[in-house]
Amino acid sequence: MAGVAELMGTTGVALAAEFHVPQIDEFLPPEIIFAGTPFAMNRIVMVRLIATAVMLLVFGITAARAKLIPGRWQGAVEWLIEFVQNNIVYEVMGELRGKRYVPMITTLFLTIMVFNLCGIIPFANMSANATFVMPLLFAVWTFVQYWRAAIREKGLLAYLKEELLPEGVPIPVYIILAPMQLIDIVLIRPASLAIRLFANMVAGHLIVALCFAATQFFLIESHNMMAGFGVLTLAGGFIMTLFEAFVAALQAFIFATLSCVYINLSYPEEA
Amino acid sequence: MDLITLAEVTGSLSAVGYGLAAIGPGVGVGIIFGKAIEATARQPELGGRIQTLMWLGFGLVEFLALLGFIAGFIFR
Amino acid sequence: METQAVDGVKLFIPETYDIFWSAVVLVVVAVFFYKFFLPKFQAIFDERAAKIEGGIAKAEKAQADADAAKKKYEDQLNTARVDAAKIRDDARTEASHIIADARVKAEADAAQITANAQKSIESQQQQALVSLKGEVGALATALAGKILGSKLQDADVQTSMLDSMIEDIDKDSAGKAK
Repeated sequence: MAGVAELMGTTGVALAAEFHVPQIDEFLPPEIIFAGTPFAMNRIVMVRLIATAVMLLVFGITAARAKLIPGRWQGAVEWLIEFVQNNIVYEVMGELRGKRYVPMITTLFLTIMVFNLCGIIPFANMSANATFVMPLLFAVWTFVQYWRAAIREKGLLAYLKEELLPEGVPIPVYIILAPMQLIDIVLIRPASLAIRLFANMVAGHLIVALCFAATQFFLIESHNMMAGFGVLTLAGGFIMTLFEAFVAALQAFIFATLSCVYINLSYPEEA
Repeated sequence: MDLITLAEVTGSLSAVGYGLAAIGPGVGVGIIFGKAIEATARQPELGGRIQTLMWLGFGLVEFLALLGFIAGFIFR
Repeated sequence: METQAVDGVKLFIPETYDIFWSAVVLVVVAVFFYKFFLPKFQAIFDERAAKIEGGIAKAEKAQADADAAKKKYEDQLNTARVDAAKIRDDARTEASHIIADARVKAEADAAQITANAQKSIESQQQQALVSLKGEVGALATALAGKILGSKLQDADVQTSMLDSMIEDIDKDSAGKAK
């Protein structure tokens, strides 16, 4: 990577230029197929498409072979589906109004989790959510859904009034509150959903890559007393990889839960 | 070594900035989850509602940390 | 950080091809989940629930049948018990009736026997009285004939004389009894 030597030089330790520090331009890889056209693909898009294909294949076969008495794998998949349905959708929205959103939230949860897990799968090593557009599209879906729910359940004006001018607040406060709320429902909610997911993927990848790059550097390229650090960073890399697996599921859960919460806010108070 | 060289700081200040920016949301998120656990322990029957509010607050507070993350890239 | 190869802001600026492929992926995934995956599993869940519920219903029916049979059996037992008690009571009352009847009949027989005995005693007494009267009359006549001689040969005189004599005796005894 360009600029690595200068970056490392500033730390005061005279490290060799071979220390491959992961950079954010790993998330902006060059186009490799159909370059220049609107259908160009870079590495991350490739990972995304392959992940999609594998996911559809695996889940498709599972669903096609689904039996009344589940096997081990089918049991696991069913557990996931029921977890999304009961612990995310029904927990937040209740069974009555949650029913129509179960497919959407299940799609979000499973897709985001599988895409996130690509970050720790060897040879992919890059989350399929690691360009900003994919999380953004998921967030836009949620955005569209909660506005649709608001317009259908309350009407646009009633919804805006309730959100921008909530009752029980002194009138002068509205001057600050209304714009803030407007920004919240229009921008912050979808943006925070998308950026949270994206940032977690970027940071996770950088940390894992950094650990293994340091291991590579300490153990192989600088053969001296620094080898001890290499063992340390290798262990760190393993731990961080496991942590990434956890974060992959956690972020999927948070995304799905927050989507439910936002959609639920568009409905009137508990009926 | 002159004074200017001594006091020179090189490298990315945005990393330091993000570190600072993460303190507030870190505390905030901690408080939110802690209070949610406390509230649920006191009134378990309101668990669902508390959890909804908890995630809402978490989303808002987390956004500050995310802003810090973006700001590191934008203001350089 | 001027040396950094790319500008970090670029992370947040979408590329056309990225948008295209992301949208394609999203639509494909959503269609897959909405149209195939979830309905399939929902059907499985529903079928399973139906089967479990069917099993439970069957078990409940069997239980109900068993309960009904038990109830029927107990009812029968109860009626039998009641019948037995009734029969016992009937028998008891009948027995007491029989005893009472027998007692009444025995008393009546006893009374009858007593009455008959009384009657026969009375008739024997009467007979004895009549025969005594005849004998005493004959004796007295004979006696009187011997005393009076053959003055009293005529039977008619004899009889009237005897009657007046007995009347006198009767009057005497009645007067004495008074």
